[in-house]
Amino acid sequence: MKTSLFIIIVLISGAFAGLIHGTVNFAIVEPYLDQAIGIENQNLFESGEEEDTPEFWVEYEGYRTWQKSGQILAGVILGTSVGALFGIVFAYSRNALPGNNDVKKSLLLAGIMWLTLYIIPFLKYPANPPTVGDGETVVLRAILYLSFIAISGFAAVGFYQLSKKLQNNKKLFALIGYGVFITAVFFAMPENPDEITAPMNLVNEFRLMSVLGVTSFWASIGIILGLFWRKLSPQKETSNYN
Amino acid sequence: MSELRQINVSKNGIPKLAILALSIVFAAGLFVVGFDQGHIFSLVYGEQAFTDLYLHELTHDMRHAAGFPCH
Ligand SMILES: [Zn+2]
Repeated sequence: MKTSLFIIIVLISGAFAGLIHGTVNFAIVEPYLDQAIGIENQNLFESGEEEDTPEFWVEYEGYRTWQKSGQILAGVILGTSVGALFGIVFAYSRNALPGNNDVKKSLLLAGIMWLTLYIIPFLKYPANPPTVGDGETVVLRAILYLSFIAISGFAAVGFYQLSKKLQNNKKLFALIGYGVFITAVFFAMPENPDEITAPMNLVNEFRLMSVLGVTSFWASIGIILGLFWRKLSPQKETSNYN
Repeated sequence: MSELRQINVSKNGIPKLAILALSIVFAAGLFVVGFDQGHIFSLVYGEQAFTDLYLHELTHDMRHAAGFPCH
């Protein structure tokens, strides 16, 4: 595949999957964001930081509309970005991935990345709706979250490299190794310092919707890039295992 | 079979330029959506926000929804 074609299909796949992610979020996550911000506003009125005036609500509606419309655009940006990473990993791992066609391979890789880069970090540092996070700790939380994702991702690559050196019947040990390693990291990493004051129901439902949204992204990117690859890869005719 | 795959790898070798370009897209996009700071609360509560923070607010909801740390 030509370099330019490769880059283009990776970016388009990411943008598309991100569009789907943003749209799904728009439908299922926004109601929870509204609820959480409603609580936040109530707290502001009670503490006297803001007054419950018509002007406040006009301004509020204006910026919420802007934020909501941003959900979809940000989905496209984030999707293109994560899709770029996915494209790189797929290009390097495609031949090693099991499965007899590119869509299966791509979906499998998406599943692995969903698990190692999203689900496992999520279990340690789950998503939170507005009002939960403390502005003072946001840099610390960003560092913790990003570090855990990076550790999990690099560990997955490392243990995969190790598995290639192992005999066939011992490959399972690499998987177990990853499991043990990431469990240790999981307990060694500091907790999210913020205390949750929002209703737990709201937080849990928000988290579920958040997972559904991100899952829709990984499923989409797996299918879309796989389809593009199968359609455009010149190896389609020459290889004998598709 | 495995030899054939080896040939495919090198024939399909991924140019460094493509990896570089995609890495930049990855880092830049992730930063904009996930970690760019300075937006918190200010848009509702401060007028200054309507200049620089416009973009940040635009990515705000996705930041929460995708699990990135925020407010
Ligand atoms: Zn926020």
